Amino acid sequence: MKIFLNLLKSPSFLIGISLFFLTICFAVFFPFFYHIDVRTMGVPMTPPCREHWLGTNHLGIDMISLLVRGLRSSLYVGFLAGIMATIVGTLLGVYAGFKGGWQDEVITLITNIFVVIPQFVVLVLISASMKEGRSLTLIAIIIAFTSWTWSARAVRAQSSSLKSRDHIALARVNGNGTLKIVLYQILPYLLSYVFMVFIIQTASGIISESCISMIGLGPYDTVSLGTILNEAMRNEALSDGAWWAFVPATVLISVIVFAFYVINTSMEGVFNPRLRK
Amino acid sequence: MPIFEVDNLSLHYLTRFGDKIPAVSGVSFSMEKGEVLGIAGESGCGKSTLVNGCMGLFIPPLNPTSGDVRVAGESIMGRTPRDIRKNVLARKVAMIPQGAFNSLNPTRKIKDLAADMIASHEQGVNKKEIYGRLRERFILIGMDADSVLSAFPIQLTAGTRQRCVIGISTLLNPQVVIADEPTSALDVSTQKSVIKMIFDLLDKGIFSSMIFITHELPLLRHVADRIAVMYAGEFAELGTTQQVIFDPRHPYTRALMGAMLSAEPGQKQKKPTAIEGAPPNLAKPITGCRFAARCPEARPDCKTTTQVIRIVGGREVRCAYAE
Repeated sequence: MKIFLNLLKSPSFLIGISLFFLTICFAVFFPFFYHIDVRTMGVPMTPPCREHWLGTNHLGIDMISLLVRGLRSSLYVGFLAGIMATIVGTLLGVYAGFKGGWQDEVITLITNIFVVIPQFVVLVLISASMKEGRSLTLIAIIIAFTSWTWSARAVRAQSSSLKSRDHIALARVNGNGTLKIVLYQILPYLLSYVFMVFIIQTASGIISESCISMIGLGPYDTVSLGTILNEAMRNEALSDGAWWAFVPATVLISVIVFAFYVINTSMEGVFNPRLRK
Repeated sequence: MPIFEVDNLSLHYLTRFGDKIPAVSGVSFSMEKGEVLGIAGESGCGKSTLVNGCMGLFIPPLNPTSGDVRVAGESIMGRTPRDIRKNVLARKVAMIPQGAFNSLNPTRKIKDLAADMIASHEQGVNKKEIYGRLRERFILIGMDADSVLSAFPIQLTAGTRQRCVIGISTLLNPQVVIADEPTSALDVSTQKSVIKMIFDLLDKGIFSSMIFITHELPLLRHVADRIAVMYAGEFAELGTTQQVIFDPRHPYTRALMGAMLSAEPGQKQKKPTAIEGAPPNLAKPITGCRFAARCPEARPDCKTTTQVIRIVGGREVRCAYAE
């Protein structure tokens, strides 16, 4: 609770969290006073006007409606990928770091292999090989599959250094089991760290999703911020000067990711007492 | 029947390449109820390895080679790690570790750390009952239970922290407590109060006997009934405190006494003498006496004949020429 109050004192956290809530509010509350409709087609490529605040795309669909839906799916993919990557990475990292021995070596080897493979290439190859049924959830799983190494490596390093602390030795000598030591002695240390990793991975999940959607490997059945960019690109919005087809989506992605990074850095200042002023 | 017996215990570390490094070899001693045995020796002589062996706690790469450890006549060797954890650690043999600063997890309150320990050993006890018991015990051992139990370790002084560690380690009334340099990180006056507390617990019968490990011989003089001097994984000499401190027979013990500084009259004129050389590398096989290379009284055959324990002047000495 005190940590939370400390966070509220940090201006960068306030900026980050308010930007984040602003985007959430856009996705959740905007439909209440703006008519959201992604089915009705009208005049293609209408510039911003009274009816369509941000104009229409090449099919004549209202841009704001697309942005609201797209933001929802991007956040969904980002959070799902972030949660999965963090959980898998943390579990593997804690296990490898605490257990040591050949288990540690095998997991480290796998992690290192995953680290050296260029993430984006794997992402593109997997998405491209799945012709049918590329849903948002599947995209999130693919992103998580290529990004868990981050948290695994960091958590492994932390827990393997924690393992040799005196209080772990005392807990062991007092007869506590391994699971108990991991849950009560190691995880509390890692909690702030894991939380920060989660935020970064969510942010990078959103970026990854936009990237693969933009080159045309995104979900086939829904709108995401990346697919908006993809459609704008394919229909030559850029050369036509139809800025409303791609600028709002780009700004939205940048704002969310910026908000996440700002939240992350401000948390570092609060969780790590050495950085406190 | 002795309450704690170590019978010809040898321990080794297994390296990655399958080599065995004997860290402790042929250690035997037994302790009666109420007795305090001091073990002294320089850093790296196998004291802490012996402690783990005495608890049956074999975390790789440490392995038992041979010998037996018995608590109240019951052997604790050859058991599964789970059995050791549930029934031996903290119940039969408890340990007080060295670092007062790092032995408590800074993220948790004292009462939670203590409750974990009880919950690991007893099924189906509720939190309230545990906290009640903790309060009672902490008052019994003379601590300000209410304020200490609900504090985080960082809020307590080093001395109080070490007393908390002792309180937690002895919660389940173990038969033997092994104190591995419990006061080496504390200043002299705090040291005294911690030691007073440990002996208070012994008097109250919370535990029945204690092994006190330190590299400070002057401290042992005040706390131990008997002293064992360890060198390169073996007991060099084992006798009563009076015998070992004031009438040492093993050349190593004598050299150790010469290297000791103590705040006594006339010490200013006396120059402490260092022991030349370094302990042998245990990774290589050693023939003959392990102290021979540094021994001022070594004779030609010391380097070739393996030394056995002899009884000299009422104490055990591992030296063929001690008188």
